[in-house]
Amino acid sequence: MTEPRNPSMSSIPQTGPAHTDSSSPAVEMDPVEYTLRKRLPRKLPKRRNDVYVNMKTDFRAQLARCQKLLEGGGHREICVHGLGLAINRAINIALQLQASSQGALQLAANTSTVELVDDLEPEDPDEAGEPMTRTRNNSAIHIKVFYPDAQ
Amino acid sequence: MENGVTSSMCPVYQSQACNNAGQPGGVNNVSRPVKPAPLPVPPPALKLGQEGFKKVCRTEEDSPCPFPGLASGVLEMRVKEGSKIRNLMGFAMARMQGEKGVSGVNVSGGGLRQVVFTGSGRAVTKTITCAEIMKRKVGCLHQLTKLRYKVVKEVWESTEGGTSEMTVHRTVPSISILLSKDPLDPQEPGYQPPETLSALWEEREGTEPATASKRSLGPLPYTSFPDCKRVCLGEGVSVLPPH
Repeated sequence: MTEPRNPSMSSIPQTGPAHTDSSSPAVEMDPVEYTLRKRLPRKLPKRRNDVYVNMKTDFRAQLARCQKLLEGGGHREICVHGLGLAINRAINIALQLQASSQGALQLAANTSTVELVDDLEPEDPDEAGEPMTRTRNNSAIHIKVFYPDAQ
Repeated sequence: MENGVTSSMCPVYQSQACNNAGQPGGVNNVSRPVKPAPLPVPPPALKLGQEGFKKVCRTEEDSPCPFPGLASGVLEMRVKEGSKIRNLMGFAMARMQGEKGVSGVNVSGGGLRQVVFTGSGRAVTKTITCAEIMKRKVGCLHQLTKLRYKVVKEVWESTEGGTSEMTVHRTVPSISILLSKDPLDPQEPGYQPPETLSALWEEREGTEPATASKRSLGPLPYTSFPDCKRVCLGEGVSVLPPH
């Protein structure tokens, strides 16, 4: 990776560069002059039964939240979303929910590509460097966890 | 823990089992010392790597095909942690586009009709990425996604004594994605019709009248995050803050 890594960014692993399928051409740049800042992914639908999985919150807390929605919250279906590194965790949560329901729950997974935007800010504003943005793609998963008799 | 950790002398067939891990697209992930993959529910208390053990072998147990009724000759791309996407896609695209039949099997114009990408553990993300790239490049592909747990057998060897070996049965999440040029059953859970790349959200929002107005697909609405420093330092976690 030729990108300069901003230390504060390392805590957002799921937008990390590891598995991006970015097709944008590599931008030539001087690694000392730019700071890479990753914007948040674009806003996505947020219903009460949408669960966005991240890598910061404790796994059990996220699982418990889903269980609560399905059991206590009276939802017949929930949607578990994961982006990048959090895909694994989203799948894990969905499979755990299914396993603990003794087969009552079904999974329907869809995949998609999410476009992410990085800002490249010149370290020194007096230098000639122009602020740039770069887009790259990352994979995402959306798992519907539902009771099959639900319409 | 659901791991059956059996500490025992490892039989001789292990080396043989290691050797046949060379599947299409599989770049050696056997010899790499890798930290144990994340486990389902209680987070792994098992950290063999830090206790003087190293992983010498990893084999996936055979499991039935997640797509019943699939023709036996379908190309299966087994994506591994170390697989290079360009290698996987170079091979798979050539077969799907039928560029003068790589193996001479399917020369009958247009290439293969279907391909399956499978991957488990840390290779799941890469598997999805491969499928997404292929959908974008080939177009008009019907997709069926299946999730399940897969049992992986790992053999760990003590780095100190060299005498003790452990066999670990680990369950890892795995994904199988079937991409087909021919229509698939839309009633099957996990089915995605062609070109849902961006329409996915629109369609879902349509089913829920309570949600906010539809998002445009054009330039992304970042107006709610004008200060990107706040985004970087703040609670910006994954797709959205939890509340």
